[in-house]
Amino acid sequence: MTLASGAWPTFAADRPADDRPAAGGRQRGGSAVVWRAEMTKMAGQWRVRAAALACAVAPFAVLMAFNVQGATPSDTLFGQWIHTSGWAVPMVVLLWSGQWLLPALTAIVAGDIFSAEDHLGTWKTVLTRSRSRGQVFTGKLLAAASFAVVMVVIVGGASMLAGLAGGSRPLVGLTGQTVPAGHAAWLAALSWSTQLPPILAFTGLAVLLSVWTRNSVVGIGAPVLLGLVLQLVSMVDMPLALRHWLINTPFGAWIGLWTQPRFVGPVGQGAATSGLWLAVTVAAAWAVFRRRAIGAA
Amino acid sequence: MRSPEPSPAAGGRPVVEAAGVTKWYGETTALDRVDLVIDAGTVHGLLGPNGAGKTTLLSALFGLVLPDEGELRLFGRTRATAGAAWLDGVGGFVEAPRFYPYLSGRANLEVLSALDGGDAPSLVDHLVDLVGLGSDGDRKVRGYSLGMRQRLGLAAALLRRPRLLILDEPTNGMDPAGIRDLTAALRRLAEDGVTVILSSHDMHQVEAVCDAVTVLHRGTTVWSGSLDAMRGEAPDPVWQLRTSDDAAALAVAGRRAGVDALRHDQDGPLAVMAGQAALDDLVVELGRAGVAVRALVLDTTPLQSFFFHLTEGRGADPGAAPAAATGTGLGPRRRAVPSR
Repeated sequence: MTLASGAWPTFAADRPADDRPAAGGRQRGGSAVVWRAEMTKMAGQWRVRAAALACAVAPFAVLMAFNVQGATPSDTLFGQWIHTSGWAVPMVVLLWSGQWLLPALTAIVAGDIFSAEDHLGTWKTVLTRSRSRGQVFTGKLLAAASFAVVMVVIVGGASMLAGLAGGSRPLVGLTGQTVPAGHAAWLAALSWSTQLPPILAFTGLAVLLSVWTRNSVVGIGAPVLLGLVLQLVSMVDMPLALRHWLINTPFGAWIGLWTQPRFVGPVGQGAATSGLWLAVTVAAAWAVFRRRAIGAA
Repeated sequence: MRSPEPSPAAGGRPVVEAAGVTKWYGETTALDRVDLVIDAGTVHGLLGPNGAGKTTLLSALFGLVLPDEGELRLFGRTRATAGAAWLDGVGGFVEAPRFYPYLSGRANLEVLSALDGGDAPSLVDHLVDLVGLGSDGDRKVRGYSLGMRQRLGLAAALLRRPRLLILDEPTNGMDPAGIRDLTAALRRLAEDGVTVILSSHDMHQVEAVCDAVTVLHRGTTVWSGSLDAMRGEAPDPVWQLRTSDDAAALAVAGRRAGVDALRHDQDGPLAVMAGQAALDDLVVELGRAGVAVRALVLDTTPLQSFFFHLTEGRGADPGAAPAAATGTGLGPRRRAVPSR
């Protein structure tokens, strides 16, 4: 079959009576369509698959390493109990990953999802289909957010499984109280769930950088760098009101869940902080994206 | 300049209507009050040298850039009123088609078909074969040649079952068989009622496939109309002539009506501008004069000469256009035979 002799898709036969073209027409749920296409593209990228695999394996590697060495990471919260209760494992992994690994994970996709189209020159390919810029923007944003949530679920879930493998035994809380094994598992899962708002805030930031700079190195690297810098900044004395609104502060909102008495105020404050960061960064990204000219000067 | 004449296709309005479309990039005027009317079921060539504004115009048709002034209509609708539906029924590409290198050609089409929705996924396998990619459709695009990318771009355009197909230099990197097949395919599409806009530098291809032509130069429309009308205004073709005695040949040519001839350099061929009948007479006359014709090759077609005149000889009286306008050293109108 060749271009000249092959059977071409029928064009004229399916024309509607009002002479409006039907082919390639706009479908309902355009953002969902873009989201699906983005997820398909993600599945084809080795770094995305590698990140997911690393997230699934890393908690077990941590457990194995401490079991083999017999040492305890006593300078880390819950570290000293890692050989006492398996439920210390997900908390140690959370502490190590919360400040910079989770921002790095989301930035792998969110920091690249717009700028890669610039780098590959594929904006013209995407935007010449029947999808509005709003649909494309929303679909990509949702895809980046989906990836972030899935990564938290994978690394958090693997940490919980590693904890289970380490032994479901009571764990000592942050105020010295003994937390029964079942409750410790529940608190560990709850603690991991508090990572979702801040990782979504970092997703918004990475998307903004990706749209604004059109540079994947900046989109991926800057959120990680910011996470590391803010981790250092958080060691410095500063007004509490200011600390509350730092993008990385909500990563530590779970601490009150492990004290006696329990305090959950930081969880709500963290959600508000993350929501604000997400709203501002996404609004700014959209403002830049909607005005962009895609064409030759 | 010949103005485009609105001539709606029978039973409907033109597929593409541009009126006074202007686009600035800072101080640069990319498009300057461009008018364009393209009827349904025609193949319309878009010609112009680099920087003429072809890509900007095509980008505007795709909604990738917004005109600063003027109005663009596709299928009678403006972008403002149609929204995302502006591109319903429109397929094609601007500049070289680009794809995701980490996916196979087939997977790229599947992603695009997901964006298109409808029954597009069922077309993927068929189109991979139709454009001649075959088993290469399962290879990663990063290993594709330019010609293979062009074929994939064509498949991506056809995935949308377009009624308006916009192709920007689609034969770049294609092998001769691919070019021949594409040319035939575009004619078939037009016969099926599909409107094709073909941006090209290749005048031979435009002559072979197009019904009408618009020539852009420095962002303005310098000519627009049917190919027949362009032929009617075009000068005679230019031929390269090699003989056994060039001096005698020039003398013979100088005596013939309707023939211009000159010599660029001592060892090069003669450049002869003449219509077919005048050329036949010249060849016969050369034989009578004892001058052997060793080679006679078409150098510049009438449409090429006209294109050069439009884009390089602008601003001058046609009869006095610079000789360089034909690209051969001969002006677009007959003139006195240069003496040696």
